[in-house]
Amino acid sequence: MFRFFLRRLLLTLPTFFALMFVTFVMIRLVPGDPIEVRRGERGIDPTRLAELRHEMGLDQPIWKQFYDYVMAILHGDFGTSTVSKTPILHEFAALFPATLELTICAMAFAIILGIPAGVFAASRRGSAVDQAMMGAALTGYSMPIFWWGLILIVLMSNTLGLTPVSGRIDLIKFYYDTPTGFMLIDSLLSGQKGAFWDAVHHLILPTIVLGTVPLAVIARMTRSAMLEVLEEDYVRTARAKGLSPLRVTGLHALRNALIPVVAVIGLQIGGLLAGAVLTETIFSWPGVGKWLVESIGRRDYPALQGGIMLISIVVIVVNLLVDLINGYLNPRVSHGQ
Amino acid sequence: MANSRYFWRAFRENRGAVVGLAIVLALIFIAIFAPMLAPHDPIEQFRGFTKLPPFWVDGHDPRFILGTDAVGRDMLSRLMYGARVSLFIGLAVMVVSMVVGIALGLSAAFFGGLIDVAIIRVMDLIQAIPSLVLAILIIAIIGPTLTNTIIAVTIVGLPRYVRLLRASALSELSKDYVTAARVSGVRKFRLMTVTVLPNCLAPLIVQAALGISDAILEAAGLGFLGLGAQPPTPEWGAMLADTRDLMVSHPWVMAFPGIAILITVLAINMMGDGLRDALDPRLRKS
Repeated sequence: MFRFFLRRLLLTLPTFFALMFVTFVMIRLVPGDPIEVRRGERGIDPTRLAELRHEMGLDQPIWKQFYDYVMAILHGDFGTSTVSKTPILHEFAALFPATLELTICAMAFAIILGIPAGVFAASRRGSAVDQAMMGAALTGYSMPIFWWGLILIVLMSNTLGLTPVSGRIDLIKFYYDTPTGFMLIDSLLSGQKGAFWDAVHHLILPTIVLGTVPLAVIARMTRSAMLEVLEEDYVRTARAKGLSPLRVTGLHALRNALIPVVAVIGLQIGGLLAGAVLTETIFSWPGVGKWLVESIGRRDYPALQGGIMLISIVVIVVNLLVDLINGYLNPRVSHGQ
Repeated sequence: MANSRYFWRAFRENRGAVVGLAIVLALIFIAIFAPMLAPHDPIEQFRGFTKLPPFWVDGHDPRFILGTDAVGRDMLSRLMYGARVSLFIGLAVMVVSMVVGIALGLSAAFFGGLIDVAIIRVMDLIQAIPSLVLAILIIAIIGPTLTNTIIAVTIVGLPRYVRLLRASALSELSKDYVTAARVSGVRKFRLMTVTVLPNCLAPLIVQAALGISDAILEAAGLGFLGLGAQPPTPEWGAMLADTRDLMVSHPWVMAFPGIAILITVLAINMMGDGLRDALDPRLRKS
């Protein structure tokens, strides 16, 4: 197990370095000189230009620039935003909890509904219920989530008035302090009456929108994994022993069916972080996805570069953890190749 | 021929797949003949006819069956031309991904060693970055146009094709018929393309179908963020982007493009499920 972990860890290193290379090259491919872009319409005098070039290290040979870039990242310096002049790492750290909170809620929503739905559909295979559920799952899987979000806003917020349209909490009603960055926790800690429920209300629609695709994927995967497992000899044995159907499906079959489901859940997390870009844009959710899109609009390329680097690091780490959990659950993975 | 008859019989078993196929064929028909079918020019703005509702709502105009958008463009015509844009993106991405994916996947499997490692590392890297974020990065560099959308979406989806082909080629390579062909002196290129490739195609075709729907969704997402096809191109995602102010007062302006995306993607996915059942007997649910 330890050797498996070590090998997986070593395998991520080349990816990490390649990532640094790509983000480094990317910023140099962007049309327009970074200084020219900054100087604006009024122009800049040549000495100041040379100064700025020197400051940004642009007068160094290209290999030296890459070396400095790698060294900076290894020291935790992901550059400075050209717009807000704050370090990217700080901006990211301030926004990431919002994205993480949304991602966790969406994943929980998808798992809590998806696994039982898949098990239920598998146990009634071929029935109308099964077909209806799988039809719904395929529809959810095909859903353009940005449109789904708009539809839910019109229905739930504007027509029924059940949920707020945007943001994480009602800033007019509640004092806003962020010791943890997770609104659900912060609102509880703030001790203000109703703050927690307000935060929950704000989370409902974004959670549904972001969780829809993984919900569909998990339900489909659980169903097909269950169908496969239910054919196995040990399930037949368990049935023959006279165990209750609930115990057979719930304990014997589900345990083994979950192995591929866990793998799929892990694969979904990277997709969720990407889906967060659209969800956050629709709901004005102050997370890293919305920030990245806005960085493009502001031509804040260092923010884009650092932000993508940081998001990718998160995804690499998550994938590593998922692989470890898979290796633990399914020894064939860790011992095979 | 016997093969194709068998395939059709297996495909037909899945009713959803047949429905999906019918819808896809209808959409292709609409896309091809949009100039003849569409009642109006998709970018012509009819002054004085803005924000008209569809035909079942009071106050509609019979000339604009599905109503008009914020600047008075005919919704039905825009949706029809939008089918062109979306299907074109989907097909273009699929074809390029297939060609590049086959080339890279086969090379990785056949040459092994450094080439294999290099190709797989690059694919790892692409997959390490969340797909939409990578697409946004690429668009930020090369600029938001329709062609660039296709490039970005292709790059993002490529690893799936490469990995799939590499995996199936590797498993084919260990089989006896390949050894037999090798021993009888078949050249490497011929071995790759004529002997092995046809046996790797079944899963690739399924991936291609699902790849089209993914590409359409992703391109629409980019369009929605304003990073895809630019106005006034009637792209479904972009059509949604500027409906936010209207969505409460004129919900249909927002509803139609989304329904169009959903129906298209759903139909292709239903078809893809049927293809998988028919082409890959191991995966059959039956």
